[in-house]
Amino acid sequence: MSGLWPLTVRELKKWVRNPTFFFTGLIQPIFWIALFGSAFDITKFLSGPSGGAAASYILDGAPNYITYIVGGVLTTMGLFTAMFAGTQIIFDRRLGPMGRFLSSPIRRSSIVFSKIISSVIRILPQVVILVVAAYLIPNGLKFPHGFTILDVLVMATAIILIAFIFSSIFSVIATRMTNMQSIFGIVNLVNLPLMFVSYAMFSRQMMATWLGNVAQYNPVSWSAEAIRMVIINGTLTTSQWTQVGQWLGALAILAIGLLSFTAYLVEKEIRD
Amino acid sequence: MEGAIIDRNNLTKIYNGKVKAVIDLNLSIKEGEIYGLAGPNGAGKTTTINMLITRISPTGGKATVGGFDITKNSMQVRKLIGVVPQDFTADEDLTGRENLTMVSQFYDVPKAKAQENIKTLLKLVDLEEAADRLVRTYSGGMRKRLELIIGLVHEPKILFLDEPTLGLDVQTRTQMWNYVKEIQSRLNVTIILTSHYLEEIDELAARVSIIDHGKVLITGSPAQLKESLKGDIISVTLTDQKSVETMKTIQGVVEVTDAGSNTVRIKVVSADNDLPKIINFISQHGLSTTRLTVQKPTLDEVFLEYTGKTIREAEGGEDARKMAMNMRRARQ
Repeated sequence: MSGLWPLTVRELKKWVRNPTFFFTGLIQPIFWIALFGSAFDITKFLSGPSGGAAASYILDGAPNYITYIVGGVLTTMGLFTAMFAGTQIIFDRRLGPMGRFLSSPIRRSSIVFSKIISSVIRILPQVVILVVAAYLIPNGLKFPHGFTILDVLVMATAIILIAFIFSSIFSVIATRMTNMQSIFGIVNLVNLPLMFVSYAMFSRQMMATWLGNVAQYNPVSWSAEAIRMVIINGTLTTSQWTQVGQWLGALAILAIGLLSFTAYLVEKEIRD
Repeated sequence: MEGAIIDRNNLTKIYNGKVKAVIDLNLSIKEGEIYGLAGPNGAGKTTTINMLITRISPTGGKATVGGFDITKNSMQVRKLIGVVPQDFTADEDLTGRENLTMVSQFYDVPKAKAQENIKTLLKLVDLEEAADRLVRTYSGGMRKRLELIIGLVHEPKILFLDEPTLGLDVQTRTQMWNYVKEIQSRLNVTIILTSHYLEEIDELAARVSIIDHGKVLITGSPAQLKESLKGDIISVTLTDQKSVETMKTIQGVVEVTDAGSNTVRIKVVSADNDLPKIINFISQHGLSTTRLTVQKPTLDEVFLEYTGKTIREAEGGEDARKMAMNMRRARQ
């Protein structure tokens, strides 16, 4: 009687049935990789005999910028999709279904977790499309040392954890909010800072020192770096695995903490 | 109260420590009855309902629904009850059937049983043909009907109906009344009904409580409440003013007033008993009448008596108040 299953099915039905929502979500990754990959690629300014080495240095050894930013774009896409989990809660409150949910014998946290889970599920096809698009575009994604199932698992784990983290945060924000403009305002306030105060688009070497220092504490950086590590290096050394483990571990701890807090808070505080 | 399905003892809700929405409310509702709650906006109806359906917690007092304490056993209460709120709760992006299925899953109704219930309920409210259409294509009346059966899909013992016909045209409203009566008789559900339309409560409820300022002012069957006013009105329109003056000399009635336009309003204890007396008086005095009407008191008048305002006046603003005042003057 938790209600999680029927509520999640409802969210997914609404997603699949809304062609604009569905297709724009699928096309978005192609735009992102094509535009970000071109707009932010400063390695094109590096030429001459030492240009290649310099480019390799600022791209952490990646063969080109697209390969470098795939981890960052995947993470940012997860972040942006997850941040809108809160808006769905406000829609339910404004349009009426929340009243039905709150008078039913379901766990109140299921109302929020159905949004979080459906956000994560919506992200997964976007991940596949983005990777394929990045691979197909000229001078695109390269796997210099091959691509294994472990790489796929790291990629999926990092993005799922990022989605859990940010959809939890924005669901908590929406727990009592009734005004759609308020949550859009918060999303707009934090989305670009979260993206740019991280190693999603640029390496630490390319950042101002203070920015690089702050970015190392941003979960977006942890996810982008973990994915980047497996894409660029293929088979990882023990120390590289340790590093990836630390990033994913930190993301997992944060995700579990936030999900637990969300469950606790929503059971007590969610209102019609 | 012995055998009460809903029992409330001094139930109180005070918002933010100062706004007293419900104060020491005491009510007992019997199993299987349709119970009406009438009162103006802010009277405490919705707060009372919201406490009973466990959407909000009381700040004082106790209440049991189906034997379960609303604060300590809120999950058990929610399993027992069905709710048809004032606002639409169905998801517009799902079909009617999908909404019903989803809600049946909230209550863990076995799949086959849920399908059977959904089929029966869709038929009951004539929504079979529209069942597989998205709810956003439904008319207002269809949505109300859907809301009604969403509240019933898990076969609740108690159904809370909050303003079930608000905003519906007269024809659809009458149709909804028939559905509610049929549901009550076929499924033997206890129904708690709030309504702005006092004629709706009059039509449906076996007992009614009039609530104002968070307190119950009076409880009884609509017939008892109307009888308590002791005042049917018999209006007699005569052919001239002289006849009116003669008519005003009639004895043995509560009150006689000249309503203008050669019409006399005679207040009697019971029109059924006193009408022959009036007809005899007219005949004995050789008066000629052009019109004679009998008006029984309505719940509106009961409401007026106990709250000091008509329900329209209570719900509306300055215009409604003026209109109500004018209507009252016109009636006197």
